[in-house]
Amino acid sequence: MGVAVLLKQVPDTTAKISVTGGRVDESSITKWSISPYDEYALENAIKLKESGYGDVVVITCGPARASKCLTEAAAVGADKLIHVVTESGSLDSIQIQALLSAAVKESSCDVVMCGKQAADTNSGSTGPGVASALGYSCVGAVTEVSIEGNVISATRLGPLGLEEVEVETPCVFTFDKGDTELRRPNVRGIMMAKKKPIDSLTSDDLGVDTSNSMVSVESHSSPPEKPPGQKFVGAESVPAVVNMLRNDANVI
Amino acid sequence: MAYEALDFYDIDSLLTEEERMVRDMVRDWVEERVLPNIEDACRDGIFPDEWRVEIGEMGILGAPLKGYGCPGLSYIAYGLICQELERGDSGVRSFASVQGSLAMYPIWDFGSEEQKEKYLSGMAKGELVGCFGLTEPDYGSNPGDMITRAEDRGDHFLLNGAKMWITNGTIADIAVVWAKLEGVIRGFIVEKGDEGFSAPEMKGKHSLKASVTSELVFQDCKIPKDRLIPGVKGIRGPLSCLNNARYGISWGAIGAAQSCFNSAREYSLSRIQFGHPIASFQLVQNKLSWMLREITKGQLLAYHMGKKKDDGSWIPEQISLAKMNNVDMALEIARMSRDIHGANGILDEYPVMRHMANLESVKTYEGTHDIHNLILGRHITGIQSFTREP
Repeated sequence: MGVAVLLKQVPDTTAKISVTGGRVDESSITKWSISPYDEYALENAIKLKESGYGDVVVITCGPARASKCLTEAAAVGADKLIHVVTESGSLDSIQIQALLSAAVKESSCDVVMCGKQAADTNSGSTGPGVASALGYSCVGAVTEVSIEGNVISATRLGPLGLEEVEVETPCVFTFDKGDTELRRPNVRGIMMAKKKPIDSLTSDDLGVDTSNSMVSVESHSSPPEKPPGQKFVGAESVPAVVNMLRNDANVI
Repeated sequence: MAYEALDFYDIDSLLTEEERMVRDMVRDWVEERVLPNIEDACRDGIFPDEWRVEIGEMGILGAPLKGYGCPGLSYIAYGLICQELERGDSGVRSFASVQGSLAMYPIWDFGSEEQKEKYLSGMAKGELVGCFGLTEPDYGSNPGDMITRAEDRGDHFLLNGAKMWITNGTIADIAVVWAKLEGVIRGFIVEKGDEGFSAPEMKGKHSLKASVTSELVFQDCKIPKDRLIPGVKGIRGPLSCLNNARYGISWGAIGAAQSCFNSAREYSLSRIQFGHPIASFQLVQNKLSWMLREITKGQLLAYHMGKKKDDGSWIPEQISLAKMNNVDMALEIARMSRDIHGANGILDEYPVMRHMANLESVKTYEGTHDIHNLILGRHITGIQSFTREP
């Protein structure tokens, strides 16, 4: 029993990203944060814990800097912290899922939560991949969960409105942004978090072979700059503007 | 774009992880809650009550005090909290300074066990708001000659007099009031609702508009005997509170200066005149580099002062220097930043004019700039020059 939350540390969505020599220059990123959708997973996990469902175990897979996101999670209520230490950007999705699944097993949690996708890679593969590796059922893009016995009901936005889904444990939920308000840390939480030990594990500790990545990133490049805006002044420019709205923007 | 606080000498690397986390928590709160609402609050002349609640929930009030439900953080962390709050607005930092350093501190250091138990944990949570009554209409830099008097009437004290320029006064649940009892300055805890006590708000400020400033009026105000703060007599009591608040201000001023610097930098890069961004002109670069220089020096001063507060090796004159220097540089930076913004600098679209107007108060309260010079003058020469009398 217990909820494992998979957290990914990503460049803050407002951080400046610079690319040098065909690679994102990590040293230029001044702020790293928990990937926003993962924060909703964490918040819902803490709520589940408050309703009496076991401990919250937060797990991250990443380089040394990533341990900070575990401490941040502890400051808002996570109980146990597991850091699977890897080198940044060296693994493919399946390897990451294998490591995370092994760490979930280690934690003996039967509910797993994570964001529906990470803010940096946006691949959306971690939740379903971990579910598949563990043989757990998986419900994607949920916004709320509640538990009764070993049945968890989840709310997700379906094509026709809100769907209520019931699923038995063990299971994986990936989270979308809902109406849930994220809690802020406080000084007491920060001081407790500092005292919480972080369990550091390597791929060897977990018995996962990470030698052959099937995907290699060849290069990074910045998206093309947006063309500058155009300014039209005076009544004589109306036909030109109408023409552009009709033919270029296709909005009228 | 994420706010990147100017940190030219990498003070960040000197902080503990806990200090950084507390700083980031307050920074995020200011970004999310203060910055989008501060201009409205100033226009309406209010300190939004939800800020009190949220500051209380963060658990940052009375930051360096230990025990009785207080946070027990380092003085460096306390400084960082002040810096981030004042990057939002000096009024928000004033709320926290007064609550922590001026109202909680004297109870924590000089109060009876019962007083500590009764007030401190509620104050740390922001559920009880405190204010500090020292300054009087006719006694500002010279508080020792205060008029407010307490009389021992057997089973109670009777308080008479008036205080002025009291931050948080009208919204306060309790006031730590300094008054003369048989000619000696003593601290008294006055509670809202005590007979003969009122706290009308002062209106018409062009500065610290998002902060509540009040008079405290005592007309035959009856105070139970157990509200006398037992542990201190004389001017040392209020001055020891001021040392802590002034220390916090030396950090707060850096936050206001960082805000003005950032705005000037961004504005000068986007403002085109004579076909080029004004940031490319030497006169503007000279101003920006002066700002960076002064902020960096101020940061080193505040950081080192914090270390001395943490290890207890400080003297009050050092705090005078830090408060005086950092507020002075922040005010000059605000003025210079307004200059770089040209006419746009007077608009509330930019934080600059608001900080500038606020800092005029900050320069004057908690020991005026000139009084701090006299404190240093006495330290250097051994000759006091506050008064003509020997």
